[in-house]
Amino acid sequence: MATTTISNGAAIAQDWPGRYYHVDQVLDRPGPRTDESFLAGEGVKDFLRNKCKILVIGAGGLGCEILANLALSGFKDIHVIDMDTIDISNLNRQFLFRPKDVGKPKATVAAAFIMSRVPGVKVTPYYGKIQDKDDDYYLQFNLVICGLDSVEARRWINATLVNLVDPENPESLKPLIDGGTEGFKGQARVILPTISSCYECSLDMLNKPTAFPICTIANTPRLPEHCIEWASVLEWPRVHGDKKLDTDDPEHIGWLYKIASARAQEFKIEGVTWSLTQGVVKNIIPAIASTNAIIAASCCNEAFKIATSSAAYLNNYFMLIGTDGVYSFTFEHEKRADCPVCGGEAVDMTISKELTVDKFIETLIERQDIQIKKPSLSSGSKHIYFQAPQQLEEATRPNLEKTVSELVDDGGEITVTASSLPFSLSLRIHYS
Amino acid sequence: MLQNESQDIEAATATLQAQPDSKTRRYDRQLRLWAASGQAALEAARILVTSGSATSTSVLKNLVLPGIGHFTILDASTTAPADAGNNFFLNADASIGKPRAAEAVPLLRELNDSVDGVADVRDLAALLDTPEGRQFVAGFSLVIAHNLPKTTVEKLADLLWQDPLYPPLMVVRSAGFLADFYIQFHEHCVIESHSETAPALRLTKPFPALQAWADSTDYDTLDPTEHAHIPFVIILIKEADKWRAEHNGALPKAYAEQKAFKAAVLARQKKLDEENFEEAEAQAVRLWTEKGVPSDVQALLDLPALAPDASPNVAFHALLQTLRAFVSDPAGPGTLPLTATLPDMKTDTESYVRLQWQYKEQARVENVRFKELLRATHPDVSIDDALADAFVKNAHHIKLLRGRPFGAFARDAAALASALDMAPKETLTHLGLNALSAVLERSAEVTPEALTAEIQAAVGAGVVLPEDELENVVEELARAPTADLPNTAAFLGGMLAQEAIKMVTKQYVPVNGYCVVDLIGSTTGVVGAV
Repeated sequence: MATTTISNGAAIAQDWPGRYYHVDQVLDRPGPRTDESFLAGEGVKDFLRNKCKILVIGAGGLGCEILANLALSGFKDIHVIDMDTIDISNLNRQFLFRPKDVGKPKATVAAAFIMSRVPGVKVTPYYGKIQDKDDDYYLQFNLVICGLDSVEARRWINATLVNLVDPENPESLKPLIDGGTEGFKGQARVILPTISSCYECSLDMLNKPTAFPICTIANTPRLPEHCIEWASVLEWPRVHGDKKLDTDDPEHIGWLYKIASARAQEFKIEGVTWSLTQGVVKNIIPAIASTNAIIAASCCNEAFKIATSSAAYLNNYFMLIGTDGVYSFTFEHEKRADCPVCGGEAVDMTISKELTVDKFIETLIERQDIQIKKPSLSSGSKHIYFQAPQQLEEATRPNLEKTVSELVDDGGEITVTASSLPFSLSLRIHYS
Repeated sequence: MLQNESQDIEAATATLQAQPDSKTRRYDRQLRLWAASGQAALEAARILVTSGSATSTSVLKNLVLPGIGHFTILDASTTAPADAGNNFFLNADASIGKPRAAEAVPLLRELNDSVDGVADVRDLAALLDTPEGRQFVAGFSLVIAHNLPKTTVEKLADLLWQDPLYPPLMVVRSAGFLADFYIQFHEHCVIESHSETAPALRLTKPFPALQAWADSTDYDTLDPTEHAHIPFVIILIKEADKWRAEHNGALPKAYAEQKAFKAAVLARQKKLDEENFEEAEAQAVRLWTEKGVPSDVQALLDLPALAPDASPNVAFHALLQTLRAFVSDPAGPGTLPLTATLPDMKTDTESYVRLQWQYKEQARVENVRFKELLRATHPDVSIDDALADAFVKNAHHIKLLRGRPFGAFARDAAALASALDMAPKETLTHLGLNALSAVLERSAEVTPEALTAEIQAAVGAGVVLPEDELENVVEELARAPTADLPNTAAFLGGMLAQEAIKMVTKQYVPVNGYCVVDLIGSTTGVVGAV
């Protein structure tokens, strides 16, 4: 380990002569594609190394890479949030962790590693959820970088940063840089909340999650996946009652594997394996160090360029496909005027006059640009249906059977909310 | 669960796999991409990296983590203060003054116990001047070179081009936000390309059992449940037969005909919610797009072989020639061998399993025929069954890339002129990096003017270069001519490792040509492909 001066967790800055030989080449003078506002030399170095405060969300595959890149680039005040602990399957890519760290919080271990390797960098970990933190917490940062694998968490931080923007106060606008990978593919993007396309604007670009209809699972299984779904969705609750399925428990996976294999054999279906069982029930996405390195580097490069103005930054989406050669596509994703988070306009929806509230809710859940799992609906001051609290749910439950047209006039608005999302969606209803 | 039911399950699942071992668990997320065969290839690979720069150690990190067999860092230099500042795999200022390779190796090895790593402090240029040194370099399975001096990289590339059995060479050059990289290989053959295009289902040329099933299916005698579960494969074969009978044996061609065909398929629905007919309508496109031999595979069949004895791909070429024989075999289907993999479809379990069994059986028959042809035409080539099986199974997706020596593109006036026209930014960045090596080599000051003069000399005095793009490249290079930026290094480290994994596992398809990276615009582009 480095012979650096760390006492009581507080890092002491120690910049040896020549430490920033490489980075300083782009900070000491502008290039042909550098904005005029660039303060070459000491001004920009002082901001980067002494003033800039950056938040990293996620200390996993992308997060480990992001922390190392930021530290080497000269960011000295880095905060990191992660709610997970280290698993053995992380070790093929999350390079700040060793076998002895399995079970420990990712944020804490990653922060300690970076501080021991890169002298003078302070990394402040938080082992917990992003939702634990309030607006004041997020307001303290200049930039936020996300390396998450959860759509829900991304929607939350995106909406939170958009809501934080106060037009009177330019400091309240926190650039959000978001990365994601899957196998040899990935993407990195820059979001300037309220100014450029936000995460919610592009929700319909996500692949639709594979969902198997219950009738296929129950009656006409064809694929090994159908047998595994049968074991986890139908058999587990039937046999174990209220006991929750823990997809990290090998005993539980083993049970599902056994039940799925038996069903597959009954129907002469081939291909149920331990690995497939685990993959289906945990929705495992393949992940490798190299793709994470590319996407994390891209995110940190944008953070560096935004923080220093040393070069133009990404506008605003970089997509990489590395399965067949190296193919990438850089484009400007457009802001959606009817984006529920940053758009302001209501989404127009045309539905049948006969559609019941119940079926209407199903439509909302399935819509790729909305994706709300448990929506509550109201129109003006009128409650249409509420998922919680219980009393309100009971009071509004009879409305599920009614048609939407009984409750809302043509051209009227419905407000959709969900407890998992810090924003509401306005729908303007028309009848066909 | 009932007693006897649970006993049935015990009996039925007596041969279950145990929970995976810790190695499989550690590598789970990558085994889902390249399987045990790819992992074994990685573990057998020996990689030489010719420096301990930030970019070099970034590449190595991404190869040590997934479990490459061995790496050697060849680097005669000592750690400079600048290295200690931009390289995560050095002990910061404590490494200053110590050999860079020896400082980096333990910090890389601690990422993965199963990887062997060696620091070699000899000088590459000197090694290339001796027969033993050249033999040493040529003994690895892959060589990766970052920002080598111009003459050294040229010598290295010349050496490794001399024999097709020598390892591929990956050359990467970077300066500030700009970079390019190139893989030098004679030929690279891929059986498992993991292409996402679906293999043919033989809908226009059904094999006998499939045709018999279609012929014996009578829509009118089926009960409503059976009717709603006829697999789309059978529906399309029936409808195609009917169409051909009414159109002089031709399938729908023009858009209007295709539309009419789809409408006819949908009109077969007895009830509005028969999803199998909707699926047949959606899949009808296969009838006019599926080819017996896809055009990219056809191009490989027509490719003249490289000198057969000198190729490391003797087996692949034998399989390719057998494939050509299979396709033209009068007793065969006149197509590529059938792949047994069926997509899911709206049908009942029994029909699906029956269909799957028929495809498997036909695929088996054709596989046997393929191997007969292989033995008859190539009695002297030793190819194990597993390799032949993989080839037949992936025949729709095989790839073969042919390459040129490093630097050949910049000497090819016609290719350059066309690339300057099609991709001026990428081409000029590549030429700019060539120019930068030349200027640095003679220890001259790197100025936009010096770089421009080099580029102009390389393309020829008469060639007019696009002014704005040229200025952007030479000024950016002159701004940071020797900067190995941490983010650029990490980006290239990921890119090079991805390509190295593809080369070593012979799975997925590596890049052919110079991949040019611009981390200001955040773009990549490829120029100079053969």
